[in-house]
This record gives sequence, structure tokens and C-alpha cells, in this order.
Amino acid sequence: MKKSVRLAATMLAAAALGACGTTNSTTSTNQPFKAAWIYVGTAGDHGWTQAHDDGRKVVEQQLGTAVKTTFKENVPEGPQVEQVVEGLVRDGNKIIFATSFGFQDAMANEAAKHPDVKFEQATGFKTANNLAEYFGAAEDADYLTGMALGAASSKGKIGFVAPFPIPEVIREINAVALGAQTTHPGATVQVVWTNTWFDPTKEKQAAQSLLSRGVDAIGQGQDSPATGEAAKAVGVKWSGYDSDQSNVAPDIWLTGTVYHWGPYYVKRVKAAMDGSWKTGSYYGSIGDGMIDIAPFGQSVTQAARDQINAKKEALKSGTFYEFTGPLKDQSGAVKIAAGTKMTLEQILSMDWFVQGVIGSPKGG
Amino acid sequence: MIRIERRLTEARWLLVAVPVGSLIGAVILSSVILLATGHDPLGTWQRLLDRGFLSEGALSATLVQATPLLLTGLAAAAAFRMQTWNIGAEGQLYLGAVGASGAGIALGSQPAALVIPAMVLAGLVTGAAWAAIPGVLRAVFRTNEIITSLMLNYVAGLLITYLIFDSQSYWRELSTFTSRVFPQGKYLSAAAGWPSVQIAGIAIPFGFLLGMVAAASLWLLYRSTRFGFEARVIGDSRAAAHYAGIRTRRKIVAVMALSGAFAGLGGAAEIGDFRHVLDPRGLQQASFGYAGIVVAALARLNPFAVILVAVLLGGLSNGGFSLQGADFPAGLVGTLQGLILFCALAGELLVRYRVRVQRPRRSPVHPADVATVRPA
Repeated sequence: MKKSVRLAATMLAAAALGACGTTNSTTSTNQPFKAAWIYVGTAGDHGWTQAHDDGRKVVEQQLGTAVKTTFKENVPEGPQVEQVVEGLVRDGNKIIFATSFGFQDAMANEAAKHPDVKFEQATGFKTANNLAEYFGAAEDADYLTGMALGAASSKGKIGFVAPFPIPEVIREINAVALGAQTTHPGATVQVVWTNTWFDPTKEKQAAQSLLSRGVDAIGQGQDSPATGEAAKAVGVKWSGYDSDQSNVAPDIWLTGTVYHWGPYYVKRVKAAMDGSWKTGSYYGSIGDGMIDIAPFGQSVTQAARDQINAKKEALKSGTFYEFTGPLKDQSGAVKIAAGTKMTLEQILSMDWFVQGVIGSPKGG
Repeated sequence: MIRIERRLTEARWLLVAVPVGSLIGAVILSSVILLATGHDPLGTWQRLLDRGFLSEGALSATLVQATPLLLTGLAAAAAFRMQTWNIGAEGQLYLGAVGASGAGIALGSQPAALVIPAMVLAGLVTGAAWAAIPGVLRAVFRTNEIITSLMLNYVAGLLITYLIFDSQSYWRELSTFTSRVFPQGKYLSAAAGWPSVQIAGIAIPFGFLLGMVAAASLWLLYRSTRFGFEARVIGDSRAAAHYAGIRTRRKIVAVMALSGAFAGLGGAAEIGDFRHVLDPRGLQQASFGYAGIVVAALARLNPFAVILVAVLLGGLSNGGFSLQGADFPAGLVGTLQGLILFCALAGELLVRYRVRVQRPRRSPVHPADVATVRPA
């Protein structure tokens, strides 16, 4: 599975970069260079996996006949992953991207077995000479999505369908709440945990439970757009995650956090081809375009668009950062003093909700 | 008029001819689908066979998948033989994994000779205990064990998720920075890793060896013991067993527990042989417990056939992943696998039943005949 754990990215990256040298490439002139992706879900999930598969297609478009890409979908986490990797190596793939956190152990084992193949693991933290990590700072875009939710809500009651009570998701919810409170002072974000990344039925039920409690704008951090389907039934405006999911319910679509993996994939495949590939932990952001918000839906007012776009520019230029004090926790106690920016380690292990979030950061 | 009737005797040659025939049927049907979707049938079949069974290392990889399928297949076979429908091997496997990983963590600093038997025992006991719940409910309150054992799968799934994601349980790693970023279980020590035996270049996992022993024991149990005989009588006719004075309640609980013990051993093998950590998400994605029902059905509940079918399905699963690709969607792989299973099960019907076509009488009949011989 995906996500999460962008570990002390900088520390590890520095260590790994220091430890590794350039590895030689094995491309021949006639054969296309083979690159493969391993997905935990289906390529057409309208969410997390589709965002990665769109990135794979960008590689095919930009590098043309010089590469041949393939993918394996619905791969269960565990021993099966190693066999899938073995098959890919046997087929001659020279770089393999795995897009779920739960693939990490298998990827690390296989990387040790096949030093001439490059391995890339999304959302993990283990690195080796031929195993690199990559992920993006979704919280930047989540803040902007939160602004759209706050502006769309008339009562200031926002719902959020959330996967697991882990720091990655907790800071996502916090960013949404902080964003919503700028466009709708005093707004609350009510959380329901699904304990799954991808399960459209559960996600829809969770959304329905929030809607029945009277939220009048709803966001989500899941891999499927099922929340949009629940919102459509009652006409409540909603935001998405992972991919542009506007087509599920375009009239009430606001925006959503999206990942653009394509440019990173092109860069890494190219580097593997010409022999300049090096390991590392890449942490994309809204500044370099790996993270962005989806195009606004028609229901977002011009005033809100202007406000959000201005904030986006400030985030890009670095003049604004969402996790800067004063930040209060749910009880109202000051957790981060005025003017202090949260450190990377604090963000990576965030286990508390900001004021205005309703629900427990421990799950349940 | 077409009638399907049970064969009184099952001809030996059919036992060979029908599986071969259903395999040919599966190849023909799926070749049509492959051609219609623009794929080369011959190359596809070759690759499926090669990657599932023939190429270097393929059998070792296949046994990794076959180990849990063998044990959950035996779990289903053990219960179904007595017409007791334990659909709960999925949850019993989770519980076995909980028990085995708990034992592995507790005895982590001990030598392998102590840890590994403890893990095996813990898997057997926890799986059996979980299965005994629907068993007792069935025996005492006559609840439907299909429903209760199935529902307990969801409970078991929530339980393992709770242990790692929602609580500070004994199984959860809490000390490292990584585990605060993403919840994970405690990894077992090297001593708790089960060994594998190398035979002719094939790595046979310890759990698979245990599974073969379990299969032989199950066969002996049903064939040569009083317990097995009584269970078979109960399976054939519960009322007859009752009149014969067989204590059906005890048997139901015992057979459910036995079935659960096999599934629990499957969970223990997943931990000891492959995962070395309680991994709620990976275990739930794999759904070995439900697949075990298919294994048992294909094997006609014969424990030795379960071994063979588990290896076949394991290879089919691995070979299936090798077929997938940008121009070969997972759905098409699933269709091929489904067709093979469907043809095999349909052929199974032909071994036990025959199709008889009866033509209605059309020749002119005398009124006298009509009076005495009525068309059936």
C-alpha cells in the first residue's frame, strides 16, 4: 500500500546519496528500455493508482519507442510481490516502480537480489544503492482544497472521509481544517475513519454517515471517488483526492488534491537509460508541480477562486507555509507557538488534530 | 427431454478422461476469447505454463502461494466431508497468524527448536478455538454455521486491523520512529523464521511440508478411525447417525475445531515462512480462506488431491500475474483463470452424473399401448 511514511526523508536521502555511486546502464541501442509499475489497486480506479498510471503513460508519450512500459495491477501485499518482481526482472525490465507502502519489504529484498535493476518505491523510507524513494507533500494542496470546502459550506460544518489514523492522513485533515477556517472562520471538520485506502462501499457508507449528520460540504482522502457519489445523492458539494475526479459529480465538484507523477517518472526512466540514475528520497511539492489542485468545478465562486489562487502562489514562492504557529489542538491549548514553523520530524509524526477537527486522531 | 441423473458406479476411465476433457474445453473456450481480444492463444498458454510451473524457480514461487491454499483447502475438506459448512477458514487463518506471531514475539530470544514448534502449536490452537465458536453454536443452538462462520471472518479481520492500527497491542511495534509514521507489527527474530527444504532445486517451505503431513493425517482419520467413520455417517445422514447412537454434537464441535486448526496452521505458516510480521492488510488482500473452498471442491474433498490442486492454483496465480501487462488487462487474466476453474468444476459434475437425452415417442402407437405405457 501506498502512502505514507516519508521518513526522515532528508536524513536518509543524504546518507543514501553519500553512500552510492553511479551505476552503469545496460541499454543496448536497438532494444527498447523496459520499465514496469506495480499497483495495489486497478489502473482505472479514478484515484491513487490511476494517477500513477497516467504518469506511466506520460513516459510512453515522451520517450516513445525508446521505452516499453508495462504494469501489474491488483497485486496483494506480501510474498506475491516478490514473485511479481522476479517475473518483471526476467522479462528484462530495468527499472521498477512500486506504488504502495506495503510493497516496501519485498522491494528491498528484490533490490538486494538484482543489483543491475533500479527500484523505486513510492511513500516508503527504505533506500539502497539501487532502491530510491519518492512521494509528494499533499498537505500543501490539501490546505487549498480546505479553503474551497470552507467557502462552499454555509453552516461551516465540513465532513471528511479518512483512511487510517496515521500521521500522513492526520496532517492532511489538519491542513484541510486550517484552510477551511480561512474562508469560513470557525468551521469544523468532522472525521470518519474507514480503515482502508480503497473500498468504494465502505467509503460511500462513511460519507453517507457524515451527510446524515448534517455536514454541508464533504472532502475525502481515499483512493476512490465514492464520496462524490454519496454527495451527489443529496447535492452536497465535495472535493476529491489523488486524481481529477470531477466527472463523478461535476455540478457539485469543488477541487481536490492531485498528484502529477509523470514528470518524475520521465526524469527517472531517462536517468536509468543514460546511466545517471542515483538513489535518493525525492519529496515533491506544490512548488515543483508534483502536487497540485484539480481544476475548479463550476460551483466554486470567483471570489473563492481568487483567494485560493493567491494562496497557491504564496505557497509556491515560499512566503506562506500552512503549518506555522499559532496552532491550537482540539482542547484549545497552543501546540505550536506564534511564528514557529513545524519541523519536518514534527510533521512526519503528527498525531494530534488542530482546533475545529471533530473526531479522534487515534481512530474509532 | 434432457435429464441429469446420478451414476450408480463411477467408471475409472472417467476419472482420467473428464479432467483431460475439461482442460481441453477450457483451452478451446479461452482461446476463442484470446483471439477475439487480439491476443496469441498459443503464446499465452505457453507463458502461463512456463511462468507458473516450468521455468527456473517457478515451482519454488508457486509453492509460496500453494502453502496457505493447501492448508485452507484441507480446512474446507475436513469440514465439508461431514457436511459441516465451515466458511470461516479466512478468519481462522487470521487468528492462527495472531497466535503464531504472538508466540514468535514472546519467545523471540529462544532457539528455533523452541520457537517454531510453539508457533505451530499457537496457530493450531487459536485457529481451532475460533472455529469452535460457530461449532458450539451449531451443536447447542442449531444456528446455521455457514452464517456464523462467515460473519466471524469480518470480526477476525477487524480484530487484526485493531491490533496493529487502532491499539497499542502486544503485536504492534511502538518503539521506532518509522512505526509512529506508519503503524506496523513487531518483526519476528531470525530464529522464528521457518526453514525451507531444498529438493532438486525447489525450495519447499516448512509450512508446505506440515501441510502434506496434515493431508495424510486427515486421510487416515477419515479412512481408518472410528472418529472418521462416525463423521462420515453423520455427513451422509444425520438422522441415521442419531439413531445409531453417534454423538453428533461432539462431532460437530470436534470437526469444526479440526478444520479451524488447519486454517490456523495456514496463518502460522504465512507468518513463519513468509511475512515474519502480523500484516493485517496483506492477509486480508490475499483471501486464502475463501480460495481454500475452491481448492477443496476441485479436489473432491480428497486430502491428497488438495495438495495437487493447491499447487495448480498457486501456479495459475503466479502465471496469471506474468500475463498481465499494459495490453493484457487483469480482467482478462481473471477470465482465463475463471474459465479453467469453471470447466474443471463442470467436468467434475460429469464424473458423478450422466446426461441422458430421452426422445419423446413419435411413432404411431396403438390405443392399447397408450393405456398401458404412459410416457414418463
